[in-house]
Order: sequence, then structure tokens, then C-alpha cells
Amino acid sequence: MLESLPLLSLILFSPLIGVLILLFVPKHKRKPLQTIAILTTLIPLVLGAMLLLQFDGVNSSVQMEEELKWIQPLTYFNYHFAYQLGVDGISLPLILLTAFIATAAAFASVFIKKRWKLFFILLLLLETGIFGVFMARDLLLFFIFFEFTLVPMFFLIGIWGEKRRERAANYYLIYNGLGSAIMFIVFMMLIFTVGYDISTSSYTSSFDVIKSNALDPSVFKFDFEELKTWMFVLLLIAFGIKLPMFPFHTWVVKVHREAPPAVVMIHSGILLKMGAYGLIRFGYEIFPEQAVEWATVLAVIGVINFLYGALLALMQNELRSILAYSSISHMGIVLMGLAAGNALGMQGAVFQLISHGLISALLFLIVGSIAERTRTTALPELGGLAQRMPFLSGVFLFAGLASLGLPALSGFVAEFMSFAGLFEQMPVLAAIGSIGIVLAAVYMLRAVLAITFGNLHAQHQSLKDVRMMEAIPMVALTAVIIVLGVYPALLTSIVEQGMAFYVMVKGG
Amino acid sequence: MDFTISTYAWIIPLFPFVSFLILLVLGRQMKGIASTISIFAMLLATVSALLLLGETLKNEAQSYTSSVFNWLDIGDFSISFGYEVNNVNVLMLVIVTVVSLLVNVFSKGYMADDERMTVFYSYISLFTFSMLMLVISDNILQLYIFWELVGLCSFLLIGFWYQKKEAKAAAKKAFIVTRIGDIGLFIAVILLFWYMPEHMLSFTAIHNAFETNAHGFSDGMVTLVALLIFVGAVGKSGQFPLHTWLPDAMEGPTPISALIHAATMVAAGVFLVAKTYDIFLASETALLIVGTVGAFTALFAALIAIAQNDIKRILAYSTVSQLGYMMLALGLGTMAAYSAAMLHLFTHAFFKALLFLGAGSIIYALHHEQNILKMGGIGKSMKVTTWTFAIGTLALAGIFPLSGFWSKDAILAQAYEHQPVFFAAALIGVFLTAFYMSRLFFLVFTGDNRSGHTPKESPWVMTLPLIILAVLAVCAGWVAIPGIGTFNEWLVGETMEEKIHWSILIISNVVALLGIGLGYKMFRNKTASSLHEQSGNGLQTVLARKFYIDELYDLIVVKPVRGLGAFLQLWDEFIVGGLVKGSITTTRQIGKMGMRLQSGQMQVYALISVIGMLILLLIFAGRRLI
Repeated sequence: MLESLPLLSLILFSPLIGVLILLFVPKHKRKPLQTIAILTTLIPLVLGAMLLLQFDGVNSSVQMEEELKWIQPLTYFNYHFAYQLGVDGISLPLILLTAFIATAAAFASVFIKKRWKLFFILLLLLETGIFGVFMARDLLLFFIFFEFTLVPMFFLIGIWGEKRRERAANYYLIYNGLGSAIMFIVFMMLIFTVGYDISTSSYTSSFDVIKSNALDPSVFKFDFEELKTWMFVLLLIAFGIKLPMFPFHTWVVKVHREAPPAVVMIHSGILLKMGAYGLIRFGYEIFPEQAVEWATVLAVIGVINFLYGALLALMQNELRSILAYSSISHMGIVLMGLAAGNALGMQGAVFQLISHGLISALLFLIVGSIAERTRTTALPELGGLAQRMPFLSGVFLFAGLASLGLPALSGFVAEFMSFAGLFEQMPVLAAIGSIGIVLAAVYMLRAVLAITFGNLHAQHQSLKDVRMMEAIPMVALTAVIIVLGVYPALLTSIVEQGMAFYVMVKGG
Repeated sequence: MDFTISTYAWIIPLFPFVSFLILLVLGRQMKGIASTISIFAMLLATVSALLLLGETLKNEAQSYTSSVFNWLDIGDFSISFGYEVNNVNVLMLVIVTVVSLLVNVFSKGYMADDERMTVFYSYISLFTFSMLMLVISDNILQLYIFWELVGLCSFLLIGFWYQKKEAKAAAKKAFIVTRIGDIGLFIAVILLFWYMPEHMLSFTAIHNAFETNAHGFSDGMVTLVALLIFVGAVGKSGQFPLHTWLPDAMEGPTPISALIHAATMVAAGVFLVAKTYDIFLASETALLIVGTVGAFTALFAALIAIAQNDIKRILAYSTVSQLGYMMLALGLGTMAAYSAAMLHLFTHAFFKALLFLGAGSIIYALHHEQNILKMGGIGKSMKVTTWTFAIGTLALAGIFPLSGFWSKDAILAQAYEHQPVFFAAALIGVFLTAFYMSRLFFLVFTGDNRSGHTPKESPWVMTLPLIILAVLAVCAGWVAIPGIGTFNEWLVGETMEEKIHWSILIISNVVALLGIGLGYKMFRNKTASSLHEQSGNGLQTVLARKFYIDELYDLIVVKPVRGLGAFLQLWDEFIVGGLVKGSITTTRQIGKMGMRLQSGQMQVYALISVIGMLILLLIFAGRRLI
């Protein structure tokens, strides 16, 4: 009975239940609005746990597949669109991460001071969109969900952000729109070149069909090979913008700086991961040979990201900007791991996605707590918070240490795997990149110590430590970061299932 | 072979870990109970370690390893975590538990007034746990993990008084400088991972592979890996050129300096080289560099110590110098020298912890005065501290028959046999050591009281550890008296012929006595006025400023990195940002040209998508037609 449930669709649409309920709650009643939102985010979390239990880590195929052909073939184009969902070892952890961080962000919405109803509705809509991205097994469906996340995010930044929120929202939209346009072009190219499904004699946007055709282009009359490089590079740019990849990172800094902390938790914690996910799913899975050819370029960009982000983080005097550049830097590790292309590096990259998601969510939760109390995140205006807020300061130090890759925490595992992977393939680049590990310690400790150590400013004498609503997600995130750091096999055993495709192709 | 206790060795680190967890949950409450919990946990750990030692002494040199769980599974290989009990590890376990226990007891008095005592004890517990885990790790990756965790605890404890600006800076410096070294070790671990047969990282596997030459490394790579490991050791053990953090680390509470920055963690670098000694033995170059760095550091730090006035900093430079002796010995590349290094690690742990705790007792009595020029005449009022400190001083100076004599002499003898240059350096070091310690001793304990406080002897919780450590500082070396002690055979597991170099025994003692004598002549019974006379000539200034190493690093590392950062900041703002702004403006212009319907950004974005689709359709329509 349980097995026959369309678990993925349930997870996907469960946030919408909350949206429906929220519509009937008066908009000034903050408490019930928040309670409903938090409870709603718990549904996919619980369902996600069930998904995890049902997931078969040994079986290397895509699982929990659901398919619903809902658009009749268009006669003129002879095109088939299907609602098709599925998970593998790469998307499952990301789905769980989404469910987890969405809950944490719902808790963090205590920092939101106006228009709660709309906020929660948008938050839940966003959650559905992200689930869709990670579940879709159809190019067009993926694209729709990918676009769908832009809209609530645009308003979340634009309405609840800081002073220059509208500018940030515009930047967000333009950059991502550009990325989406490029992605759309490639998807269309794919559909019209390798999207022909022999079994139904029609064109389709089904990922599985396109992938198997792309890997075996002998089926087709026309020359697909020459296009492959173009498509791979275009995908690299499209998803590189989201990742963000140097030099497309400017918008990320603006969003980190202007969006409300609860939203940055989702943005930095999950949305950026859609870039890397897209790159793996479409770039690596459909174009494995091109991925190998372009590995050096990817590694170079990865190292640039890692060092460039770290050096700029070092120069900032404001916490959010430091964390923004830190995110850019840490996404460099993802690129390095992917560039390595071996089992260790690829898994390290995915591990880093999860780890960075957790850590940056925790960091921005802390940003929220600090900003709410002191109304500033500028380093010179802060100091000595440990005196009045020992709990928050402790968690902040923990998050900072996790971020700089302290062993026994999740960040180290990702760093170790990615670097170890890259050292096998490109030792010189990896060695250059390892300077960034020191820089990470420098900028992270600088930020944490400037804020929590030293003398307390006079106007902060009456600050109170965190309340329960903040402490719960902090402790939960902390716990997961430790568990993954101490026993990483928990996650790698799942990720490994999803990586089988690439390592096989590359090995053979 | 009887491994009954060895199989339970993993329990030893658990005692302090449980203590850490309890204290973490307790939070800031229950100051009184905090120290009791921590001390009790350490007592259990110490007893267990001693029981384990008893078992190991009965066995012939053999190791017991057990892997506990698979940390990572990647494809067809996995990295497992476990523990290893062999004689070197047990030696370290005993050192760490004993010193940690005594420091725990001492802190009960020293930290009595601190309101964050619970936090303090939780950090110490976490440190002891990490250090013990480091010691019994059965593979190098696991060692690396705990290597970083002890570094973290060191950082936390240096910055314990977090309001102090200096403490904050020192903590940060300690973390970052050691991390530079850690990158070396990090890369070494990765290289070992790729080149070792079947990706095995266990110390046993490394030993076997390098002993039988069954590894994938070329000669150059062996040297590289050895040196990368050594870079890690240099950072942790405060060797030149990464020594700068250790003296600054004295900002932490003094018991911490005794535990972490004298007896245990800083010795981890020496321990690491010892654990991976087979790699070093495979490369002459690496050994030579280890020895040279050690010899240089031994001299260099001893010179600086002469001109320092802060009691803890003198001891810190002394630690750097003594660790240099251990590295020097390891660089000689013989098993006898290896054993001498470990013996010195063993004796040094006790007499240096003794000296630091003694300094703590003085600082406590003088209301946190640390400048030896402002002390003086303490000998009359603090008998226990004075006598135990005297024992520590003599042990450090290497006077017969105290523990430091035997270990230092073993190093000197080995250096004499294998590397005359190192021997010369070590001998000069003996003189300098004796001299700066004698300067310290006579300035602090004799002459006028220049402190403005009336010192009185510390409470028994502080003096008892001093007495125990003094006993150890006297006797610890006796385990290796040539011809009587069996330390070497026990440690290395093979009998080695031991020549007794009577001449070296005598020379080193004479040199040390000369150093003490000179110090006595210059600094005995100083009055407040007589101290002003000897203010600096050129050399003294250079020494007092520690050879300007910090200034040099600021110039060649910190400033360039800042400059690069500032440049990139501008670049990011104007070039990258400018390009972006330009392209956005262009896009908008195209949008405006193409349509008259732009009431908001949504349209621009929609437009881009539509245009893209149109282009695409055109392309494909075109292809089809052709």
C-alpha cells in the first residue's frame, strides 16, 4: 500500500496545501500564519524521510518514477510532453535538503515584520518549485519549475529585502532570465536533435529518451556530434550563472546582501545548488565526453572561484558580503570536484552542495538573529556579542568553523573528497587551489571574531540571546552538520548510486 | 601476547569526551561541579592509560589495531576509522593523561575566580579527548582530523579571555599559521591516498609499504610527501619559519600553556614525524631538512629567549627550542636517535609542564604580572613553587641526574656520531638554554621584590601538581639510563648497541653549568635600580624583537595579500560589475528597440526567452530546409 503512493507528487505538491489554508487566514494574524507555514513545511520533511527509507541505494536506476502523459501529441510537431518525475542518488539528497532548509527558513521567518501572509504563501510556492526542479525527469518540466522558482523569489527579495532590494530583485531576474534563455535554447536543440522517441514515433522532451539517444547518436541521420560542444558550453554558462561561476557572480552578492535572511537561507542554501544540479544532470549526464574535454577549463574556473571569492571575502567589512563571497568561493569546490570527474571528486562535489547548503543556511539564520537585534551587520559596528549572547556566538563560531572546513564537520568531508579527486587528475591546479583553504580560515575567523570577541559596544549592552524559535533550527542544522562530518558514509552511500552513470561512461 | 586491556583502549578518550558533553549541557552553571567532573574523568583516563602501560610493558613490542567503522566508501575502496595500541602510542597516552590530569587539578585553583570555569573545563575536556584520539588513530587521515581538532581547542583556549584584544589576535594567528602547515599535511594525506597500495592510509600499511619499498612513489615523490608531512609538523610544533604563533599563544590561561603549548599538542608534530618515520627514512634529503630545521630552530629560539622579559614567552621560546632538539634527533635517521627524540618528548612534557605551572603559580600570586623584570625575591615567600621551579630549571638545562639530562644527552650522543654540525648547534643550544633559564630564575626568585605585591604560596591544588611534576622531572629520564633503563628497546622493539659517551656526558654538563653560572653572575640579587643599566645594544634589540620575523611576514605575506584583495575588490566592482551593467543596459536597449511595451522588468525577461526561442526555431527551420 505504502509503496504504491505517488510519494514524489505528494512531496512536490504538499506545500500547496499550506498555501490553500493560508488563503483563508486573516493577514494580520501572525502567529497562526506562521504555525501553519511551519507545520506545512514539516509534511514534505516527513514524506522525504519516507522517501529515504524506500530508496534503494544498490539499484542504480532512477527510482520512484511517476509518469503522466497529459498533453496530447501535437499533430503538426508530433511532439510528446509527459509529466515525469523520479529520483536518484543526486537528487534525493537535494530534495531532503530542500525540505529541511525550507522548515528552518519557516522558523527563521520570525525575523519578518510585515505582510506575513504573502510571505508564507510565496515561501511555500518557492518550495514546490524547487522540489519540481530536483524531481523532473523531463526537460520541459524541469524548465517550467526552474522558471517557476524565479517568480516567488523575485517578490521575496523585492518586498522584504533591505534598502536596495528592488535593484537586487532586478539583478536577480535579469541574470537568471538570461541563464534560463540559454538553457531553453539548448533544451530546444536537444529536443529537435535527439528527442525523437522511436517507440512512440514522436518527438519528446523526456530526459531518459534524450539521454540515451545523445549517448548513441548513430540512430540519427544528421550530424549531432559537432553541436555537442556548443550545447555543453552553453549549458555550462546557463547553469554557471546560477551556480554562480566567475565572472557571473555579481548578482549573487547583491541577493545575499539585500534579501531577507530567511530567504537567503533558501537562496544560498538551495537555489544556488540548482545550478550545479543542472550542470550534473544535463551537462555531465548527456555530454560526458564534453565534460571530460572541458575538465581543465572547469577546474581552472573552480580554482578561480575558490580563490577569488576567498580574497574578496577577506576585503569585505560587512557580514553578509563576506558570506556572499564565501558562497562563491565554496561553489568553486563544487566545480573542482566536478572537473576531477573521478568517483571521489564527483561525490565530493555533491557532498559540498549539501554541506554548503546546511552551513550557509545556518550562517544566514545567525545573520538574521544578529541583524534583528543590532540592526546592523557591519563588522566595525559589532563586537563582543559573546558577552550578551553566548549561545548565538557559540553557534556562530561553530558555523564559521564548519564553513572553513574543520574536520569532523560536513564541510571538511566535501573539501577532502573534492581536493583528493582533483589531485589525482590535475595536481598542480589542486595545489594552487589549496591556498584557498588557508584564506577561508582567515576571512571566516576574522568575521566571527570581530563580531563575537572583543568588547561589547555600549548600545548593545541590553541584547538578549536567541529565543526558542531561532534555537530550534540552529540546533537542528548544527546536528546534521556534525552527523555528516562524523559519518559521511551516510550520505555518500546515497550519492554513489547517482554517480554510477558518469564514472561508468568515463571508465569505459 | 595479552591484549585484554588493549582491546578496550578506545575507552580512554571517551572519559574526557563524556565530561565535555556533560559540561556542554551544563552550560555556565555549577562552577564547582565542573572541575570535579573533568578531574574525575581525567583520573579515570589516567588510571586506564597506566593499566594499558602495564600491559604493554609485559608484552614484547607489538601493536594491536582494530578498525571500528567505515568512514567513507567510494567505489571499490573505503577509508575506515579505528585505533592502534603500540608502545609509542601508549607512551603518548600516558604523557597526555598524566599532564592533563595535573593541569585539570591545578586549574581548579588558578581559574577559581573565573565565571566561565565550566566553559574552560569543557574546552580542556574536548582538547584531551581530541589529543588522545590523535594519539591512538590507526591511520593518517584520522590523525589529521584530530590534529585539526586539537588545533581548534588550542585556538579556543588561547582566545579564552575573548574580550582581550591580544587574546583575540593571538587565537586567530595560532589557527591561521598552523593551518598553513596543515595544508602540507592535508596534501600529503591525499598523495598517500593515491599512491599507497589499495589506497591504504593506516600507519601499519605505510610502515610495511615503505619498509619493503612496495609503494607507487618515485624517489622525488617520497621526498615531497615526507616534506609535506614535515610542513604540518613544523606548523604544529612551532618550528622555524612557522614558529611565530606559539609565543603569542601565551595569551591563553597559563595552565593551558602548560598542557597544550608545552607538553602535548605542540609535541604532536614530533609524534607525527615519528609515526611516519619510514617515509622519512626513505629520503635522505627529507631527513637532512628535518634535522637542519630542528637544529636551526633549537638555536634560533634559544637566542630569542635570552632577550625576552615575559616569563611565559621565555618558556614558550624554550619550548620551540626544545622541540627543535627533537626534530634534530629525528633528522639523524637512526633508530637510536628516533628513540632519543621520543625520550626527550617524554621528559620535556613533564619538566616544561612543571615550569609553566610554576610560572602560573607565580603569576597567580603576583596578580597576573608576567614581566620578570618586575618580579624578584619570590623565593622567600613561595617555597614550594621556588623549589619545584628550580628542579624544572635544572632538568631543562640538562643537569645530571635529572630527566632532561638523559634525554638531551641521548640526542647529543647521536648527533655526535652522525652529524657533527648538528652536535655543535645542540651544544651551543645547551649553553643558551642554561643561560636564559638561569637569567629567568635569578631575576624572579632572588633580589628585591619589584612587583609591588606581597606574594604568598598558592593553595595546595596548585602546589600538589607542582610536586608531582617535580618528581617526574627528576625521575622520568631514568628509564633510559644507558645500560640500566630499557626505554630504547621497549620503544623500538629491538636491542641496539649503546656506546656510553662519557666525554659528552661531562662536556654537556660543564657547558650547562657554565650557562647557569653566567646567568647567576649577571642576574643574581638584582635591585630595581640595577636593572635599568642593561638596556639594549643592537644585538639585544634584534633578539628582543625576535629577529623581526613578524614584521617580515607582514611585509612579504600580509601586505601583498591585502593589496591583491584590494585590487580584486576594484576589479570586481568596476570591470566585472561594469561589464555586467553594460550588458544589461544593452539588453534593455534591444528590448526598447524591439518593443514599445516595457512597463517592468518582467517583460524584459519574457522578451529574452521569446527571442531565444525564435532564434532557435529559425536555426532549426533553416537546418531542415537545407
